[in-house]
Amino acid sequence: MKKLQGLLVILLFASGTLLAQKKTISGKVTGQAGNDPLLGVNILANNQKGGTASKQDGTYSITVDSKTTTLIFSFVGYTTQTVVIGEKNIIDVILAPAIATGEEVVVIGYGTQKKSSVTGAVAKYTNDRLEETPNSRLDQALQGKIAGVRVQNISSEAGADPKVQVRGISSVSAGAEPLVVVDGHPLYEGLSFVNMADVASVEVLKDAASAAIYGSRGANGVIIVTTKSGKANKTKYSVKFSTGVKEAYELYPMMTTTEYTNLLFYEASLRLKDPSITTQPAILNSNERAAYIVESQIRGGVGTDWQREAIRNANVKNIQMNVSGGNSGVKYYISGGYQNDQGMMYHSEYERFTVKAKVDAQLSKKVKLSFNFNPSYIKKESPGATFTDFYRLQSFLPVTVDASIVDFIRQHPNGQYTNIQVGDFVHANMFNNRVYSGLMPDGSLWTTTSATSPFATANQSPKAIMENVSITNNDYRALTSGDISIEILPGLNFKSLASAFVRYSNGLDFGKTNSRSVTYPSTGVYRSQFFVDLLSENTISYNKRIKDHSFDFLTGFTAQKTKIRTEQTTATNYASDNITTLNTATVQTDPTQTFNETLSRGLLSGLARMIYGYKDKYLLNVSFRADGSSYFGTGNKWGYFPSASIGWLASKEKFFDNLSWLSSLKLRASYGATGNNNIGDYLFVDRLFSTNYAFGASTGTVLSGQSISRLILSNPDITWELTNQFNAGIDVALFKNAISFSLDVYRSKTDQLLLDQSTQAFAGVPNFINNIGKIQNDGIEFEITSNNIRKKDFRWSTTANISRTRNKVLEFGGEPFLFKNGERSEVYRNIVGQPLVQYYGFKTDGVWLSQADITASGISNSVNPAWLVPGALKIVDIDGNKILNDNDRTILGNPYPDFIWGITNNFTYKDFDLSFFFQGSQGGKVIGGDANYNETKRYNKNYNSDRWVSPAFPGDGKTPYSTLGINWMLTDYVVEDASFYALRELLVGYTLPEKFAKKAGLSSLRVYFSGQNLFYHKAASFRGLNPEARNTGGLYASTQIDGYQRGAFPVQKTLLFGIDFNF
Amino acid sequence: MKKIQYIIILAFIGLTSCNKVIDLYPESNLNTGTFYSNDAEVKTGLTACYNGLQLPMFREWQLTELRSDNTYMGVPGSTNSFNRELSDLDWFVPATSMDAIYQFWLNTYFNIRNCNILLQKLGVNYDPASGSISLSNIDIPITDVNRKQYAGEALFIRAYHYFNLVRLFGGAFLVYTPISPLDAKTTNRSSLADTYKFIEADLTAASTYMSNKTFSQIVPADKGRATSWAAKALLGKVYLTQNKKASAISQLDDVRLNSGYGLQSTYANVFSTGNEVNNEVLFTVRYKAGGLGLGSSFGNDFAPLASSGIVITGTVRNWNTPTSSIDSFYTAADARKAVNVGRFLPSPTVTSLYVKKFTSPVTIDLDGESDWPVIRYADVLLMLAEAQGNTGTSVGYISQIRTRAGLGSISGAFATVAEFEKELTDQRRAEFAFENLRWFDLLRYGTTLTTINPVQILKDHFEYEYVAHYATYVAPVPTLLQLKGYVTTDKLLLPIPQREIDLNTQFVIAQNPGY
Repeated sequence: MKKLQGLLVILLFASGTLLAQKKTISGKVTGQAGNDPLLGVNILANNQKGGTASKQDGTYSITVDSKTTTLIFSFVGYTTQTVVIGEKNIIDVILAPAIATGEEVVVIGYGTQKKSSVTGAVAKYTNDRLEETPNSRLDQALQGKIAGVRVQNISSEAGADPKVQVRGISSVSAGAEPLVVVDGHPLYEGLSFVNMADVASVEVLKDAASAAIYGSRGANGVIIVTTKSGKANKTKYSVKFSTGVKEAYELYPMMTTTEYTNLLFYEASLRLKDPSITTQPAILNSNERAAYIVESQIRGGVGTDWQREAIRNANVKNIQMNVSGGNSGVKYYISGGYQNDQGMMYHSEYERFTVKAKVDAQLSKKVKLSFNFNPSYIKKESPGATFTDFYRLQSFLPVTVDASIVDFIRQHPNGQYTNIQVGDFVHANMFNNRVYSGLMPDGSLWTTTSATSPFATANQSPKAIMENVSITNNDYRALTSGDISIEILPGLNFKSLASAFVRYSNGLDFGKTNSRSVTYPSTGVYRSQFFVDLLSENTISYNKRIKDHSFDFLTGFTAQKTKIRTEQTTATNYASDNITTLNTATVQTDPTQTFNETLSRGLLSGLARMIYGYKDKYLLNVSFRADGSSYFGTGNKWGYFPSASIGWLASKEKFFDNLSWLSSLKLRASYGATGNNNIGDYLFVDRLFSTNYAFGASTGTVLSGQSISRLILSNPDITWELTNQFNAGIDVALFKNAISFSLDVYRSKTDQLLLDQSTQAFAGVPNFINNIGKIQNDGIEFEITSNNIRKKDFRWSTTANISRTRNKVLEFGGEPFLFKNGERSEVYRNIVGQPLVQYYGFKTDGVWLSQADITASGISNSVNPAWLVPGALKIVDIDGNKILNDNDRTILGNPYPDFIWGITNNFTYKDFDLSFFFQGSQGGKVIGGDANYNETKRYNKNYNSDRWVSPAFPGDGKTPYSTLGINWMLTDYVVEDASFYALRELLVGYTLPEKFAKKAGLSSLRVYFSGQNLFYHKAASFRGLNPEARNTGGLYASTQIDGYQRGAFPVQKTLLFGIDFNF
Repeated sequence: MKKIQYIIILAFIGLTSCNKVIDLYPESNLNTGTFYSNDAEVKTGLTACYNGLQLPMFREWQLTELRSDNTYMGVPGSTNSFNRELSDLDWFVPATSMDAIYQFWLNTYFNIRNCNILLQKLGVNYDPASGSISLSNIDIPITDVNRKQYAGEALFIRAYHYFNLVRLFGGAFLVYTPISPLDAKTTNRSSLADTYKFIEADLTAASTYMSNKTFSQIVPADKGRATSWAAKALLGKVYLTQNKKASAISQLDDVRLNSGYGLQSTYANVFSTGNEVNNEVLFTVRYKAGGLGLGSSFGNDFAPLASSGIVITGTVRNWNTPTSSIDSFYTAADARKAVNVGRFLPSPTVTSLYVKKFTSPVTIDLDGESDWPVIRYADVLLMLAEAQGNTGTSVGYISQIRTRAGLGSISGAFATVAEFEKELTDQRRAEFAFENLRWFDLLRYGTTLTTINPVQILKDHFEYEYVAHYATYVAPVPTLLQLKGYVTTDKLLLPIPQREIDLNTQFVIAQNPGY
């Protein structure tokens, strides 16, 4: 309920726009930048003759009668703007420069189109100070900004990949991420390297009709990134610099060993008062007592806050420079960027260098050439220990050996630590196998003669691992393209584009001797991958207008070829920890970790499109693409993807003419087919893998063996997944474009899903690939932009979007469901008739309060008798047969939010500007894997507060005693509400008035502060730190599983200061 | 204008040679479409069937030795999910969806598929009605001798897997061709009788197909492959398990008299990494150290906590810890004690026991050399004794085992059957400790012997270890009464993995009783 209130408060900000009447109106007319006054702008009142023009400084004054409702501002080279007068006396207007067509243009596949004639669902996000937000990557920055695009920042680590989805999930086993097209080159990894400062706009082709021109790769939507180009004007230089700090928004509420021991003694004292407890269980075992003594006595009561050992206040830096300009013949845009993001974890860092050079040249009247070169280098360092490793560690262990314990450790009976020095990292073994005695929290003296081990592990502490293991990765990328356009006849153009994307990645994971555990040999894993993607694209376009009929034809061929070579070598036992080259290692290969592999992929396509308009009012768009892919076997390679869409610009009809408040109204409908080829390679044939064995006398000689994959069986008949989508939309602009909004609804059905279909394990391999099943997505998206106040010194505008996607499995080839197990026994089912991923397990109803409670329930038996004990979770006997077994499992929830939303408010007051962006997700559940671990549930106050202690002291009756009964991971106890909303971005800026800037020789100067996640609200019942966090590696890479998190990294809060110079 | 035309023409030429772009096949792997076309390739496929023995073996002790009175999970109360599963197995409360069980099941059936692919290529068919193996024509250029040898080895491995499955889970899903995933969905469990019939057919065929060279005749390079003798010894055990004592005796006596296998002079020699595939080992799952990916992890898996660098290099896990009962079971004179039970003293007042017989030194973590014997000559002798009962000959066989262990020899039948059975079962326990035989022995004693009660032995085991071990679990400590209550006849079988039942939509697959 609180969440809803919060939402309402925010939505109230969005209201505005007032109506009334007055007499003399004055104001100022400026150009796009808001600070260049326009002279001679014509200003007319709608209901009277005569008008006025703006003066040198852009100011004007006009007297109007009471019948006048609007003012019309027109100027050569600028878009005419009509403003409703209302109660305003002062009306400031910013005129937008007219683009060639005099209208906003959006980028669609293989071309551009006037926004007014778009008939599909295409969203455009224009880069407006994106680089001033504290995001490290473009994809992260798009979170919440576009309706229907769901970006989940699943990890707060520096440079981590977010999860991006457009309009739900249309595939089960194939990839669900959208295709990204960077300056015409389709690349799945497109969003990960583009420098935000270079981005001009981001378009999202959401419906199938728009995406169908990308055929077999369009089913998950297409995101088109267009980078900046030079403009024909005098050379402009821009330098931007920003720097900031980030810190954890919140940490886990962990108990120290002392606090936890006190809790156990307190609980024991309660049990003593409970007459129903006849035999008192042990309060602590001897190892736990020893841990308490280490902390409370040997370390003087001071425990270690391990989370703080993992997390720091990190710095971020960003420097951007660019030069752009040109004349009517040659235009250029050249930029260089450097970004350095420290992660909150120590030894986590993301560093990026980018260079971009884009040149457009008109070679002759008919020939145009563009060249685009975009190399980048990204260096990433990751910590060798995870955040979970830290936060689960008990506080009694110190980080390093300090003066107070060095003597104690040197006296270890096995003599191993006699040379230990102050400052060395502590190992748990140093405290193990010792004889401890001391006072317990209740004042009793505990003595024992046997040796105890407070924490038995061979592993080094995570801090020691972090300092002695280094994981680095380097990505060198270059996107290079050149295209030539030739006007053969007026309106008939030929364009040929050649583009190459090359990525070379290499990395080294190096662990020093003893770094991970006692006697760990120094180990290096060398990884490298060479990825080359070549694209040739040849299109012919023809534009023709005959009276009321306009035609826009496009046809072409493309060929794309990808070659990937991956290599990994592993070596151990180095001569020194300081030299990490392979030749210093004693053992140079570990066959299980050493391999190389080459893969090739090819895609051949033909495409055609016609856009037809009648009187610019009735619009039709038809497209077709044929794709041939190497992913499928002979006879199944080709897929065909047609689409059609229609639009009606109703506001151009006569009968709307006297509705002056309606600026424009467009109705759209589309239907199209798209495919998805984002699957594993060569799944049409069973590959064989090396599986050797030793034969022969003595220790034997290795003979080579070959066997099939353990994971998946091939299928020679597999072919394309096919998604058909229907979309209907309406675009409305009101009050002379003061308010505009779009509403889209859609339904898509994906057929012949490429499914990792589960089969009986006794077939030998648990999955096989098959084209089977149907899945459906329904959704609704709403976007609104409102210019609430447009006064001389004060402007306020709001943009907001909200979207909802419902996904439903229609069939799985006759099977009622598929399922997968997670890493900690939790079960995910994909059930026909339900949204794709469903958590599956036991429902619980609080805890068993007492034996009487169990008896009263009538439940006579349980598969695991240990489930039926007081203090354990009370499993609901779903089938009512009074026996608890696997038949009592049911659906426990799903990861999908009811809706996601984002709202931005922009204010400018004189030279100051302020914008804040809230983003949220409502509904949807996660599975909290922390509940699986003793360490992460016992000491965490979110799990141990007010828990059941004994029948007379049952706590809140809902919190089970941590070590009793059923594994929590099998129940809904770990299914938690993942709703949240956050103040994602806050930006406060000041632009120096031009007259001052000029004096300094600048065209403009701007300073700003921005913040990220300054406020973050999550559901009260949520026990974790970050409801957006998800595990996505290993098992969790499967689309069949979603919503699991364990040891989630805290949400990051960032503060940034920046300064921009333009000259 | 002409220049422009040239450019356009060139661009289109670039597009014509195109089918090569999408007509691609795997470059880094062979594929089943073209493989198994000659003798060498079939042999390469067969090597994979041997490799496939390793993964089920990694889990086998968890389902056998750990549940017996020989070992328990050594880290009480650990909530590491791997340890917790071991603990549940140890306590006889496994969940039907337990990963340990599923992984053993899956990896076993994976290797059965490997064998089935090969057997299909070799034209080896099983007829379930008659329970017999037959050969059909094939077009691979291969000699009949080699074809039968390879087929026999694959049949042996398949039978070995099914024999484990039937003893652990009861009636199995009988898969004897590389079935399609869709066929799997319409396959149900077979009865216990049909499963044994199938295993007997495989082993009977294997023993006739394979070479019957005696141990000394086997060329050194072929040591470690399945032989006719290994098939006969295993068939003997299959018969004995079904209490078909006469059939068992005929197979086992054949091995005893004609195989050329025998006992090693000392017990330690049997397991010495310098003496692998010796004349006592009829069949073994082989491991090879040296960073080849073929090493065994058992040395590290079984080493006690805090013993890294002392007992073994690298990881130490303390799984599968010897019980104090097996430790005290050995008399001081017994040479087998020192080989089997290791003692590690982390401090002067603490002794940690560990399984020592697979702990050869490693230079790379989880990369041990020690093989894991599947069937030994000593087993053949003691099975003969078990099949023949309390006779002088039987006691003679037992005496051979005793003598080698450094215990006194005995002769002549015992006064009572109970005394005989006690001596027999004691010697089996001492001799085969930690080789995953104890569990199956206990199950079998229920039918082959008259005075041994397996369920009682397992209950007694909890009683014996309770104070020192089970009572040290972190609260809530299971009561002894609870633990003993968990051991029921039903729980002697493991559950069919829940996934198999959940996945079948055609009919309900019967779960084992008690789950």
